[in-house]
Amino acid sequence: MSRNARRGWLVATATMMAICVFAIWQSLLLSLTDRLGPGPGFFSFWLSLLGVLFAGLLILDVWRKPVIENDETLFPRGESAFRVLIIIGAVAGATLLMGWVGFELAMLVFIAVLTFALGERRWYAIGLFAIAGSFGVYYVFTRWLDVLLPPGPWAA
Amino acid sequence: MESLGYLMAGLGAALSFNNLLFAFAGCVLGTLIGVLPGLGPAAGTAILIPLTFNLDATGAIIMLCAIYYGAMYGGTITSVLINVPGEAASVVTCIDGYQMAKQGRAGSALAIAAIGSFVGGIVATILLVVVAAPLASLALKFGPAEFFALMVAGLCLVVGLAGRNILAALLMTALGLLLSLIGMDPVRGAPRFTFGVEELYDGIGFVPVVMGLFGVGELLLAAEARQTHLIQADLKKWYPTRDEWRRSSGAIGRGTVIGFVLGLIPGVGAIVPTFMAYVLEKRVSKNPERFGKGAIEGVASAETANNAYANGSMVPLLALGVPSSPTIAVLMGAFIVNGLTPGPFLFQEKPELVWTVIASFFVGNVLLLILNLPLVGLWARLLKIPFAYLCTGVLIFCIIGAYGLKQSLFDVWVMLGFGVLGYVLRKLDFPIAPAILALILGPMMEKSLRTTLEISGGSFAIFLDRPLALALLAVPLIVLAAIVVRPRAFANLRQTDIE
Repeated sequence: MSRNARRGWLVATATMMAICVFAIWQSLLLSLTDRLGPGPGFFSFWLSLLGVLFAGLLILDVWRKPVIENDETLFPRGESAFRVLIIIGAVAGATLLMGWVGFELAMLVFIAVLTFALGERRWYAIGLFAIAGSFGVYYVFTRWLDVLLPPGPWAA
Repeated sequence: MESLGYLMAGLGAALSFNNLLFAFAGCVLGTLIGVLPGLGPAAGTAILIPLTFNLDATGAIIMLCAIYYGAMYGGTITSVLINVPGEAASVVTCIDGYQMAKQGRAGSALAIAAIGSFVGGIVATILLVVVAAPLASLALKFGPAEFFALMVAGLCLVVGLAGRNILAALLMTALGLLLSLIGMDPVRGAPRFTFGVEELYDGIGFVPVVMGLFGVGELLLAAEARQTHLIQADLKKWYPTRDEWRRSSGAIGRGTVIGFVLGLIPGVGAIVPTFMAYVLEKRVSKNPERFGKGAIEGVASAETANNAYANGSMVPLLALGVPSSPTIAVLMGAFIVNGLTPGPFLFQEKPELVWTVIASFFVGNVLLLILNLPLVGLWARLLKIPFAYLCTGVLIFCIIGAYGLKQSLFDVWVMLGFGVLGYVLRKLDFPIAPAILALILGPMMEKSLRTTLEISGGSFAIFLDRPLALALLAVPLIVLAAIVVRPRAFANLRQTDIE
């Protein structure tokens, strides 16, 4: 295991352990047992306790593993990192926009931005894909498949 | 005999125009998903759930099952033509399939894969018909203690076989179960872990979580390692020669048995039967040195086992309500979205639905054969779709899928959050499969355990009084202990991550 991978495992496992500790505390706020038997906090309490145990053992296990010294990075850099981040940012932006301007406009912007950022440079191809993927998809899903999507501001 | 009557009625329903259309659409979409590198059956099934939101339950399940086995076949095309498995189970097909393509025999490789998949799928479905109904009848005698033990057994096997690091798999299982507890307590109706957030009262939606973990997570990985592929294809001659038929027939038979039997065991991912079938074929071959250099029986065995596994893994889902892999868990989620709980009671309460779905497997396998033999050139062309369009198109489906079920933007945020989480966990090589299975089984496990303890007045000794429950709990725990103590003995069955 490389040094960076080990660091990643330790951080991830410690975070999971913290979630389990938090869940133990929350479970204790619920009743563990009542007169009918196990209460709402029963299952989550024991699960969280097991989670803390497994996380603790895993941290020990990872800590004891020999470290291989190399330049291996866990997460991408440069252009690869840009592509990953732009996808996350575009979905987050589209979700925010959808609440304000509806599915069609949000998707129009989302598709145009993302296809451009991922390497497409032909404006007519981006435009056609954006219209089909926003207005076209909205029409197909709402009219043909009866799936409700956030309507635009012009919807009655 | 009763099963046969139901099956015939189911076949009639499966051949109705609407259901035929759903099976056809599922096979086309599934093959498309399988062809596109970076999207596996679990992701494909998850992101296409929105297409079924407003179908009737039977149509929705038929379509999603067809997507599943369509994707299992579609992965073959990329394995043979560009040496990139469209889904994990097709890794083994790359070994000889790509060599055949380089020798100008891509058509034969794809044809024998389609025929092997067809035979494996049909025979496995016949075995499913024979096994599932008696198993479901037996499971009807189960009480809550047996159901709890059965679910623990399923999870233990998945944990034991799903990853190199059992502690990580156990931790992911615990977290998946904890996640499933968010929302209203199923027994007392008290809110848990909701923190006053209204959207959490219904719990964390299974569909946004799997779309995030599989759909968005896999896409982020694909975006990071974007590649261009050189297609090796001469698809004019696709009919196998007499010698190729002779070499493949035994491999198809053996692959069917291995695929179906391993499909019955929870936790054995699709890659294990394909690998075992390939190794067996190499062992029984008179010329093992041909393997890795374009042996058609290598392709036939792996692809047959792959499809037989896909159909075999439906047995634990339909008869016992226990999903054996993440893709089957997604299918189970689709059942639940449609107000159905897979398992023995479904055979009793909705026999017409269950048997129509089972009968549709026969129809789907025939459709796949028709779609894949003459249209393989068309599928190969899909590999030329630029990543910018592919990625954006998949994300549109993910957003619609996450939003569409409850019309909630909160669920889109959940999908994105789990997408990033899935990407990080995959980068670290954490096993995701146990968490997904735990997420879907969690509410049922809790309910079974609490009902059992209410019956016993809070005493765990009830498990000692019920031999079947005790055996179901003991066997997987012993297997798990054995894997921890002697990991090398189980190395062939274990893998880094299921699908």
